[in-house]
Amino acid sequence: MKTILLLEDLPEIRAWLRKLVMQVFPGAVISESARVQDAIELVRAVKFDLALIDLGLPDGSGVDVVTQLRDTQPDAQSVVVTIHDDDEHLFPALQAGAFGYILKEQARELITEQLQRISQGEPPLSPSIARRVMAYFSAKAKTKPAASAPSNMPNVSLTDRESEVLLRVAKGYTLPEIGVQLGLSRHTIADYVKQIYRKLNVSSRAEAALEAQRMGLFR
Amino acid sequence: MTTPGPFLQRLRGLAGLVIGLVIGLVLALTGAAAAAQVLHIRSAQVTPAAGPVLSAGDPRASVALPDDWSRSRPGYAGTVTYRVDFEPFSSLESGDLLALYIAHVCSNLEVFLNGQLVHGGGRMVEPVTHNCNHPQLVPLPTALIRPGTNILDIRVAGHRLAEVGSHQRDGGLSALAIGPMSELAALHAQRKALQVSAPQAVSATLLLMGGFMFVMGFVNRRESHLAYFGALSVGWALVDTRLWLRSLPMSHSVAEFLLCSMLGFITWAAVQFLMRYAGSRERFVDVAMPVQCALLPLSLVLAGPSRLHLVASFWYAVLALEVLAASLWHLRREWQRRSVWLMGPLLLTVAVAGVIEFAAQWGGTRPLAAHVAALIMPVVFVLVGLRLVQQQGHALNHAEQGKARLEQRVREATAEIERNFRQLSELRVEQVTERERKRIAADLHDDLGAKLLTIVHTSDSERISTLAREALEEMRLSVRGLTGKPVRLADALGDWRAEVVSRLGQAGIDCDWQAPEDLPQRLSSRAYVQTTRILREATSNIIKHSKAMRCDIRCTITDGDMLFVLQDDGEGITAPVAGRLDQGHGLASMKNRAKQLQGQCLVESGAGQGTVIRLTVPLDRAIEGS
Repeated sequence: MKTILLLEDLPEIRAWLRKLVMQVFPGAVISESARVQDAIELVRAVKFDLALIDLGLPDGSGVDVVTQLRDTQPDAQSVVVTIHDDDEHLFPALQAGAFGYILKEQARELITEQLQRISQGEPPLSPSIARRVMAYFSAKAKTKPAASAPSNMPNVSLTDRESEVLLRVAKGYTLPEIGVQLGLSRHTIADYVKQIYRKLNVSSRAEAALEAQRMGLFR
Repeated sequence: MTTPGPFLQRLRGLAGLVIGLVIGLVLALTGAAAAAQVLHIRSAQVTPAAGPVLSAGDPRASVALPDDWSRSRPGYAGTVTYRVDFEPFSSLESGDLLALYIAHVCSNLEVFLNGQLVHGGGRMVEPVTHNCNHPQLVPLPTALIRPGTNILDIRVAGHRLAEVGSHQRDGGLSALAIGPMSELAALHAQRKALQVSAPQAVSATLLLMGGFMFVMGFVNRRESHLAYFGALSVGWALVDTRLWLRSLPMSHSVAEFLLCSMLGFITWAAVQFLMRYAGSRERFVDVAMPVQCALLPLSLVLAGPSRLHLVASFWYAVLALEVLAASLWHLRREWQRRSVWLMGPLLLTVAVAGVIEFAAQWGGTRPLAAHVAALIMPVVFVLVGLRLVQQQGHALNHAEQGKARLEQRVREATAEIERNFRQLSELRVEQVTERERKRIAADLHDDLGAKLLTIVHTSDSERISTLAREALEEMRLSVRGLTGKPVRLADALGDWRAEVVSRLGQAGIDCDWQAPEDLPQRLSSRAYVQTTRILREATSNIIKHSKAMRCDIRCTITDGDMLFVLQDDGEGITAPVAGRLDQGHGLASMKNRAKQLQGQCLVESGAGQGTVIRLTVPLDRAIEGS
């Protein structure tokens, strides 16, 4: 039995999402919220398996809920459900720990399929997001000399395989295609993608912590 | 100062010319003095007499000529009558007169031949006419000359040394020369030219030049040395008038007092000129010199006319030392700053002239060299004046050039500022536009996007849902077009591939996508968005209408054109399908969008033959269009 959080401010869309989620996960317990504050309260009270989080909400950004979930319930999967398909909006959510994203206006069948894939551990990754992740890690490799990093800072970098997968995604290849090219199973490629998301989150959190520490020192 | 210019070399030439002239003049004069057939009289019988002519009863004494009163009768002032006798010349050429030539007499004289007055130099009582620097030529009338011994009485009015500022102005009489008028007149003319005419000319020149300089320096305070030089020149011109001006409307003592006082001002001007010209200014000099100018006349007044010479001599020494110190200081400064090729020799010349003048003070009647030395000083002034004018001209020229350069720089700076300002305002406009774009984008997403989304998911009609979804996609692409920066062509191809291949794959259509990789070109966001829409529309058409099993997509870049060829193996566009496509504006909008990018979109199709879509987008113009 799954517990699912639904954060969406538009009532019609929320109802539609609820219907869809109940189809995909029959018997799931669904908690609904239209505001960031309410969602954070819910996260404190209830343990979730899956959270569908809208980004643009009346009282703030859904990213805060993603962060909260990541901090308090690491096993919960946050999925951003948004109208924005550009990496400028998506990337911060992914850095905060979101495990994929779904574009709201897509057809019911498509969303159903994506939700199923996500719950099976196969998060979507678009070429533009892949490029953004590549740029993030290569900039990090350049700016951070090993000596200056504090000992408690996890040394997060991509493996060659992960980089290879990212590069191919950026070039527009689908995950099954990449599996064929690299002689790996579709699941293995999906695992790489999950690992990439995780590393992005870990690295971003460590960076944020370091930044906070630095600010504290200078203050 | 840098390398001497052509003008400077001309100035050097001029200096050489002037010095040559002076030397030539001196040589000519000495040559003329050594003439023959002239009777030189070097002794006389003398009596200090009130009467015009010596009588037999007057006390007499024999005296050598030249007779300097300061030695033969110190402290005496008044008139002295000299008597000489001579035999008339037998060898006079016919038509020639006999004449008496007196090189120096001070201050005035009257000449009697055999008791008859034959020559008067002016007033014999106060204010006595000042003839000290004027050589005297007295024609001796033939009618008055006796065959035997002739008696010549020369009555001299003079001042005692103590009352005059300089030896050349105390009483005295030089040796006499009696000879043919023609010969002596030539000598007289030469000496007069040297002692009277030349100082006159030089005085006039100095007055003019000094006045000019003074005005120039006075107007331009930064060139104050010019004003001081002007004052020096004018002052010297005034002092030099004593050489040639015979009568003054004042008593002798007043004239001497003024003359000596004048030297204080001249020294003031000279010292200040030397210092300012070397580019320096000393506060204590600024104060000390005017104070000295006041002290000098005051001391003369306190000492009284009878001790004028003594006090004046003291002051001469002090002033000379001051000028000497200032000169040395000036040369030292200039030595460090620039060359001293002109001021060095000129100051040396002045010093030599000063030494000669000083020596002449003790030599009784003035030697020729003293007259030349007196002339050298103003000549030096003229040379310095020319040099100053030249420097002023150079400075003016320099300033003009500097002004031109400055104007050029100002123009450049203005252009630079304008350019910067333009860039800045462009940047500002860009920033504002960007912010506005983002705001519009956010508004569209929040409002229009939410409403369209609600329609998508709440409409019962599949057709309306699809339309709303398409509208939402259109909106998003438009927003991206609004906010977009140029996109790397390689990235764009990745996006297109991901979308087209996954959509066709989901529709169960085999897809073969071939495109070059690692392309350096960039695509304007507009071209990116339009191409995305065209490809999306084409993909939709294939999925919806073609019933194709397979689709080949080729992208090639040639000569700045991007060419897409999408070929499916479907049933092609039949008439009813074409009608439906046009209803949805599908093909037409694809063609329109291609046209907006200055490209084209061709659709080749036949029933049962599949469809080929050829899309050409020019890359260069596409980026310019952004």
